[in-house]
Amino acid sequence: MIFTTFSYFLFLIPTALLFRLSGPRLRPWICVASGVAFFVYFSVTELAGWIGAACVAIFVWESLISRLYTPGSRWCVFGVAASVSILVAFKYWNFLTGLVTTPAGINRWAWRGAFLPLGISFFTFEFVHYAIDRYKGRVDRGTLGEYLAFIFFFPTLVAGPIKRFQYFLANIREPSRDWPRDWHRGVTRILVGLAKKFAVADLLTSLTVHLNAADVAQATRPALLLWLLAYGGQIYFDFSAYSDIAIGSGRLFGLSIPENFDWPYARTNITEFWRRWHRSLTTWLMDYVFIPLGGSRARPARVYANVMATMLVSGLWHGAGLNFLVWGAWHGSLLVIHRMWREWQGARLAQAPTAVGRLSSWAVTFATVTLGWAFFAMDLSTAALYFRQLIFG
Amino acid sequence: MTSLRWFKQLADYLGGSVDTAPPGVSLQLTSSAWAIWWGALALLIVLFCGQASKFIYIDF
Repeated sequence: MIFTTFSYFLFLIPTALLFRLSGPRLRPWICVASGVAFFVYFSVTELAGWIGAACVAIFVWESLISRLYTPGSRWCVFGVAASVSILVAFKYWNFLTGLVTTPAGINRWAWRGAFLPLGISFFTFEFVHYAIDRYKGRVDRGTLGEYLAFIFFFPTLVAGPIKRFQYFLANIREPSRDWPRDWHRGVTRILVGLAKKFAVADLLTSLTVHLNAADVAQATRPALLLWLLAYGGQIYFDFSAYSDIAIGSGRLFGLSIPENFDWPYARTNITEFWRRWHRSLTTWLMDYVFIPLGGSRARPARVYANVMATMLVSGLWHGAGLNFLVWGAWHGSLLVIHRMWREWQGARLAQAPTAVGRLSSWAVTFATVTLGWAFFAMDLSTAALYFRQLIFG
Repeated sequence: MTSLRWFKQLADYLGGSVDTAPPGVSLQLTSSAWAIWWGALALLIVLFCGQASKFIYIDF
């Protein structure tokens, strides 16, 4: 029942209709029931089978422990630790134990049947957000049904956008009643998402499949550049299409889901790029990693370290591999360099840039982001081979 | 409003991500232009569907 299947829409439309026709007390439970059905069906048919479906227990655990959260409570700290531990166990176990393998390269602690519960990277961040915001007293507790509706809301369950409970709670208590506008905009958004996925992202796969060691070793420079450009296009159209469908689906319910993209490739510096790329993740990282580390109210060296640490977390979150860590470091370095540049330029940046200046800034931003995709698309040794081929031919 | 900004707002409006049309564009929700737009999108979907690649961001 993935977003691009007919069965998804056979499931979505009746559920959204039922939600809108129901009273306020029933609405959260419709989200819960549909979310459980979605999680179980998707896990059984497309992921780890019934073992994957059994991971619904993680949500049961979260729903129970979250009821103990009060401002300043240690349960919140415990909840964060538990959520992160579950994520580490499922997603990073083989990666971490693989770093300490025997000289023969055998990972004695490897988990052979490893699998990822559906959407674990995304729902963990929602769990952590709720625990921290409850600790700080920034969010209402909500009823059990409302919190379960938040974590089980199926349009965002698989890959976000990462929601915030404050906004979801207000939304589910008072969903939009402008049916014609919501359905019109929601259907438009879903159709655009599907068109982007099928007609652009999937089409680019014919180029991006070549980003493997065998093809890279024999490729010419123009081909290498074309494949990486295609990957940059594919990942944008793919994920923004996914987000369009999720946000459009939410709109059918009368609920507003956070936006994820705002023309990131049109931006003229790396900081602006990150404000517009996967925004729900970027704001999460700002609020729960960068600011707790000290944010930008510290000595420059400390701020640069905070930026780098945040982007390393972002890299690791994207995947359990050294290449993702390098991708995070690449973007962390770019953000640090941009900060240094701004500090060095100072007041001169207040002047309106010339057209040539803007175009150059855009070109540098686009080129650096595109080169960075090499670490995202390929493992570290293939990415190294890619750059060797690109530079030395 | 610069033409680039106007184009962006139009694209966002046609894409369903904003509810307000750019200046100079007035499309009612019931306008037949939407039917044509939806039809064009549906045609693209039908023409290109079936390539069956999964979403990159679904837990990788």
